[in-house]
Amino acid sequence: MLGKLALAGIKNRRRDYLVLLAGLTMSAAIFYMFANLATNKAFVKANGVVGQSMLIFGFGAVLLVLITIVYIMYANSFLLSMRQHDYGLFMMLGAKKRRIGQLVFLETLILGTVATAIGIVLGLLMSRFLVGFLLNALGLHLAHLVSFYLPAVVATAVLYVGLFIAASLFNLVKLTRTTVLKLLHADEEANQPQIKPIRQMIAGIVGLLLLAAGYWALASIKLLQIAAIPFAIVTITLGTYLLFRATLLTIIRWLRQTKWAKTHLNGFLMGQLNFRVYNYTRMLTIVSLLFAMALGAITVGSGYHRQLPLLANNFGSYTVAIHNKTAKEQQLIGKLDVATQATYTQKRQGKTVFYNAAEFKQQPYEFNEGTMTPKYEKKTAAEMKPTDLNSLDFISMAVMGQNNFYTPKMLKAAKFARQPGKTVSVTTIRVKDIEKDRPTLKKLNQIELARFPHASELTVGNYQSYELMLAFFGGLEFMGYFLGIAFLAMLASCLMFKILSGAPGDKRRYRMLYKVGVRHSLMRNGIAKEIGILFMIPGIMGVIDVLFGLQMFKPLMPKPMSPYLGIGGTFAIFIGLYAIYYLVTLALYWQIVLPQAPATADHK
Amino acid sequence: MTSSNAVVDVHGLEKTYGKANERQYQALKGLNFQVASGEFVGIMGASGSGKTTLLNMLSTLDVPTKGDVMVNGHDVTKMRGNQLADFRAQEVGFIFQDFNLLESLTAEENIGLPLALKGTSSKIMDQAIHEVANTLSISDLLQKYPSELSGGQKQRVAAARAIVHHPSILMGDEPTGALDSTSARELLDLLTTINQEQHMSVLLVTHDPFSASFCQRILFIKDGLIGSEIRRGDQDRSAFYQQILNELGTFNE
Ligand SMILES: Nc1ncnc2c1ncn2[C@@H]1O[C@H](COP(=O)(O)OP(=O)(O)OP(=O)(O)O)[C@@H](O)[C@H]1O
Ligand SMILES: [Mg+2]
Repeated sequence: MLGKLALAGIKNRRRDYLVLLAGLTMSAAIFYMFANLATNKAFVKANGVVGQSMLIFGFGAVLLVLITIVYIMYANSFLLSMRQHDYGLFMMLGAKKRRIGQLVFLETLILGTVATAIGIVLGLLMSRFLVGFLLNALGLHLAHLVSFYLPAVVATAVLYVGLFIAASLFNLVKLTRTTVLKLLHADEEANQPQIKPIRQMIAGIVGLLLLAAGYWALASIKLLQIAAIPFAIVTITLGTYLLFRATLLTIIRWLRQTKWAKTHLNGFLMGQLNFRVYNYTRMLTIVSLLFAMALGAITVGSGYHRQLPLLANNFGSYTVAIHNKTAKEQQLIGKLDVATQATYTQKRQGKTVFYNAAEFKQQPYEFNEGTMTPKYEKKTAAEMKPTDLNSLDFISMAVMGQNNFYTPKMLKAAKFARQPGKTVSVTTIRVKDIEKDRPTLKKLNQIELARFPHASELTVGNYQSYELMLAFFGGLEFMGYFLGIAFLAMLASCLMFKILSGAPGDKRRYRMLYKVGVRHSLMRNGIAKEIGILFMIPGIMGVIDVLFGLQMFKPLMPKPMSPYLGIGGTFAIFIGLYAIYYLVTLALYWQIVLPQAPATADHK
Repeated sequence: MTSSNAVVDVHGLEKTYGKANERQYQALKGLNFQVASGEFVGIMGASGSGKTTLLNMLSTLDVPTKGDVMVNGHDVTKMRGNQLADFRAQEVGFIFQDFNLLESLTAEENIGLPLALKGTSSKIMDQAIHEVANTLSISDLLQKYPSELSGGQKQRVAAARAIVHHPSILMGDEPTGALDSTSARELLDLLTTINQEQHMSVLLVTHDPFSASFCQRILFIKDGLIGSEIRRGDQDRSAFYQQILNELGTFNE
């Protein structure tokens, strides 16, 4: 009988349960995707800078577990808040506490197990399609990547079911300990936080200090090694929490005293925030961290992506050098977006390669004199110094074998004409954008490798440097994007839960405002502002976290790369995504909360 | 028929719930009545007789199916969107059975809400709030939140909010319904005072004869129509109370 009643209660709140289930499923799916990568040792070893990527994966795993725990705590309190009124009612009608306890326990566990099972399946599918899509988009190939990996399934299932058992026990204890009256009126309670100025101040200062310590630790990762990360996580989390707790309420209280708060709905908005922010401090802290991690991960990922060509371009002056180009190769060259191109004649004899100085007068050779950023400089034969002739760039135009080059020598035109030896024409090409021309360059390179197999071990041209580095850093780049997307998705559902769990109460409040005669537009704006502020607080904090946190990647990004280079664009895109997410939440909220005006059509 | 000093003038008011293709229920079947400016009128009737429905039409929370409703010279059936909201904010003061206070705001902020919506300057707002708080003796409760108030105190705060902007009519749907007898009596005394001193018209929906005995005139609704009407005239309240009981006795037969 009681079971039936409980089931009816669930039916009535179908939508809330769907949100809950969807959120939990997403969370489990993301965790599976991550575990799938992290527990696959062959994959981790085969991709990226071994030690460091192990470190990053480990770091990511710990974070994700922590976030998952918090996330399930939220989801659980959301579940409990939905159910306590019903259970209170059952108890008032005489149901035994033990029986209610059983029901709660079962309900939580069933929900959790179902979410985990669907989540793992979803995670499998996502691993297959999303990861594939991401790799394609980035032009990466990662070895040993599979979508089904048993240890990952086990890890996900154990963690989630374990957490749900804990949550069920927690609910059981909580519900059976709370009085019936409290359960019945839980919705209506609005705790008004007390402010104690001195405590607030101390909390604020301690918060700032902790934040500073965390940022310092990230910047000093070389000094602290891995210890920097757990240290920073703890200090930044606590610091953010204390800072929010100390400042947000004070600011709102202060705003509430102003004249501004006495016009239109501003007072109501401040009142809402006042009792929201306090309850939301923990959530805002976590969301700000998730925001920071998502943004940070994507910034780092895109940083590698954007900056690898930069790094590659620094190795030499030309992108590829083609020997005795064929008609097919000529055709491919025609497709490239060429910055400079030159063709020289070589005569190879013994261990020496001879060049015709006259040709260099006509087409001066382009050297790359830059150390950090490319600095191109064209030189005729007369202008070249002996070091120029021996630069890796220049000698690479005539490769003999592995790590073995012909010695270049310049000859006057007349002497060159008389010089015996095997004649080879070499065409050096520098393209404007390696990444864009990569497919064509790849084909050219393949043809060259087929024709001159002994050169295959060698880096000829920046294109090959690029490919080598891509293989080297690709794992990191991929991790960056992957974690970024995962964190963003977690963040999305975390915020959504918290905000949606406030919707039923707000529905009542806006209904009251409607009755009192508040214009629809005013209510819409009020909600937009309120949710906007709730989105902005963690956003701003997250951006600050990232700006400091990127210090951590300095040792991982050899110069001339820098974690800060060109982050504007990445930030803009990320904030754009965040804004879209805000708009979606807002639309949902409007839909749930705003009172419908009575239909006027039927009146004549 | 239409007197110029009527603050409420209802003519041929009908309300049918349910859309044309659904099961329909006619809650009001053509009501006619007026409330004169400064009058204290009660509306009584059995449960389900259409009292709340009527009040919702008058306060524009719902739309009549047919008929005219004039409130303080405004034809409320012709209003749309923002006009409706503004009308509620400016012309009507409403006290609800469940108080309808915003628990995230202090009593003071709750009371000031109608003025804030009008864009009243904060100085005038403070003045108005303190004046009305004095009248309702809730001056020392202003900084509290609704959750810290008793039911009677909450209802006085709600009453303060309903009259702070000097609406042309004050409406209440069972405002004493959730109060104990002492608090109920206090509130009714206050409503009487407001009615007499500020000449604010009051329209009170109730099924409680004691509450109704504070009115000057009582309309009885039965099956969506006005069944009968009694006036207090010069009687004292207890005599009127007796008359109401008698009327209910015959009315409910
Ligand atoms: N939204 C609605 N949809 C359909 N029928 C409704 C709706 N609201 C009220 N009714 C019906 O209209 C009739 C009048 O309802 P109303 O709420 O006005 O009664 P009331 O006089 O206020 O009763 P009570 O004293 O119990 O509050 C009732 O029969 C009710 O079932
Ligand atoms: Mg009613």
